[in-house]
Amino acid sequence: MAEAAQQVMEDRWAGGTCPFDAGWRKVMMWTFIITDGLLFAGFLASYGYARIMSGSWPNQSEVFSIPMIALMTFILISSSATMASAVAAAQSGDRKGVSRFMLLTIVGGAIFLGMQVWEWSHLIHEGARLHANPWGDAAFGAYFFLITGFHGTHVLSGVLVIAIMALRWAKGSATAEGIEMTGLYWHFVDLVWVFVFTCFYLL
Amino acid sequence: MTATNEAGGYKLYWMIWGVLLALTVVMLFLDNAPMPRVAFVLIMVGAMLTKAFLIAGYFMHLRYEALFIRLSVFIGLLVNGAVLYFLIIPDAYRILGMS
Repeated sequence: MAEAAQQVMEDRWAGGTCPFDAGWRKVMMWTFIITDGLLFAGFLASYGYARIMSGSWPNQSEVFSIPMIALMTFILISSSATMASAVAAAQSGDRKGVSRFMLLTIVGGAIFLGMQVWEWSHLIHEGARLHANPWGDAAFGAYFFLITGFHGTHVLSGVLVIAIMALRWAKGSATAEGIEMTGLYWHFVDLVWVFVFTCFYLL
Repeated sequence: MTATNEAGGYKLYWMIWGVLLALTVVMLFLDNAPMPRVAFVLIMVGAMLTKAFLIAGYFMHLRYEALFIRLSVFIGLLVNGAVLYFLIIPDAYRILGMS
């Protein structure tokens, strides 16, 4: 009986008596990602609700510069690939590779933020506000600033965390596991953008 | 062996990067293509979920993690998100119909 139960634990859950089969840092990071992801899911569901209820939602291609948003998407996806490469370099002990790939990730994140600042400035200049906008339903501006602002704050904190980890790595006080956790957060930021890009800018 | 060790090297990551970019280009191309709204939404959501699975599975190494972590993420995020969406959306259509 006990052997059968043990077999189930090992086979079905793949972690034996440690069901997550991971260190506490990784389990905590995944817990954070799930809870933070649910927050974004709430925002996007609320956005969908407001948009359907409105019946007169502005046409995104008339409001946004879609080629610029596409470039922002390209940059964020590329920075995710460089971060994944930094994690792989850390695992294989390639110290210079980690620094190089993390620097590229920081540059990508900074360019993304700069483009988002430009987009916000442009739309504010055209009259977009939290409570009103020239294109239609008043909720449009509120959801735009809420969702892209919340995501942008995540990008900003991600860039700062990566910069701190890169400095610590250069000093020799960061571990490969620390780089991996930083990477998990950055990929989550990229993952959220996939949903924001599709739901807010394309659909 | 950790999930990261099993995840492969740079080559796999840049292959995934290429697939993600290709999917994004297809989505942008279809953005202006004449097609029924339902088909457009289904294609976009399908591409979006494919990109999400690729990022979570390969960049975040979720496909190499224990089943417990995979289920926690899948149920916690995707199922909860879908339930949240499909519970409130019919109400939005009802309100739209009242106006």
